[in-house]
Amino acid sequence: MDMHKSPPADGKDGAAALLERIARGDKIALAQLFEREAGQLIAIARRIVYRQDLAEEVVQDAFVAIWQRASLFDASRGTARGWIITIVRNRALNLVRDGKRLDFVDGESLAELGDRHAVTEAAYGALPERHTLRRCLDQLDPVKRNSILLCYVAGMSHGEVAAKLDAPLGTVKAWIRRGVIALQECMA
Amino acid sequence: MSRSEDWQGLAGGYVLGVLEGAELAQAERLIGADPEFAGMVAELADRFNALDDTAPPEPVPEGLWSAIEGRLDATVQLTTPGVVPSRVSRLTERRKLPMPMVPALRWGLMAASLVLAAGLGYATAFVTQGRPEPVVVAVLLGDGASPGAIVEAYADDSVRLVPLDPLSAPEGQILQVWTLPDAETGPVSLGTFSQGGQLRLAGPDLPTPQQDQLYEITLEPAPGSPTGRPTGPIVLKGFAKAPLL
Repeated sequence: MDMHKSPPADGKDGAAALLERIARGDKIALAQLFEREAGQLIAIARRIVYRQDLAEEVVQDAFVAIWQRASLFDASRGTARGWIITIVRNRALNLVRDGKRLDFVDGESLAELGDRHAVTEAAYGALPERHTLRRCLDQLDPVKRNSILLCYVAGMSHGEVAAKLDAPLGTVKAWIRRGVIALQECMA
Repeated sequence: MSRSEDWQGLAGGYVLGVLEGAELAQAERLIGADPEFAGMVAELADRFNALDDTAPPEPVPEGLWSAIEGRLDATVQLTTPGVVPSRVSRLTERRKLPMPMVPALRWGLMAASLVLAAGLGYATAFVTQGRPEPVVVAVLLGDGASPGAIVEAYADDSVRLVPLDPLSAPEGQILQVWTLPDAETGPVSLGTFSQGGQLRLAGPDLPTPQQDQLYEITLEPAPGSPTGRPTGPIVLKGFAKAPLL
């Protein structure tokens, strides 16, 4: 197991216990989970949807989904905190991928794209040096590493990364695929 | 290329959130069907969570919690066979399932026979044990990463919709449920709703639902598609399968 997780250190067990109570219809447990996680979940969503109001909408929907689906959480298939983050990330990704239908597209400015790049750099820089993911990302070609970080942290699609890095789509897809395979080999 | 590399590429793409179309569907199918693949995805996602942990928490706006709390009573909690709800919570649930999601209805081409079941009668009907089995079941997928709703279609033309993710239409718009019995008939509206929660629609008189029949939900101008056919973007879509009995 990975011993270099950032705080909150009790994230895993605490969240799992709360989910168990939420599955039984305990609203206080949901409120406690919100109290503990909402601030960081808003930040995670905002890295992807960029706009504050959309990030809050994502987190609102995510907590309703957590309430609805808490009984489906299976501790043998991952951590509770990971499950919650996945719900937030998937909702955020759906929102940006479905942009057209939800009138999300405001015409993203170059400045905003620049900010998103800075955010991914900051996330990478903040990974603890000894963390396995950090160690393995360090070993990747910078261009593969950047592509992967833009996808995961900023929620960019292949096409957006290609535009951002000014590289052909096929090349970017190959970088990401090779990169993410190399990461898994490295972390195994 | 080895299967293991294929799987690593697929699991990696899934965790990064870049899969679409057939690859996304394949990854989702494998996650449901293959514990080894599901394990790869879970392990990788867990590693990548370290990047999420670096996000400095932001201030939580006042009112966000109360907005969530205000939606809980209208949201039915899903249960799994392993989680047996107590009688008390079951009764509470029954009281909760109700009319607020009864939408305005636009009568389309086949509208004369289209009835949206409403009120206590239908609300209690679908929590009653021993109801008939659906003829087909469809898992509706968005083009994001997860299934968004389950549709159960019954021999009596009724359809039960169980959202897996909260669904709600922006103001002035409505979510409309459709099926395609066959190409000749074209898409037929089963009913509309404005926000999530389970609901039962008494669809129009149609042939018995078939394996591979298309079901979809589109976003339409309220109170429903002006043409009687889907005009707006597809929110969720899936093909029916007959359940094993």
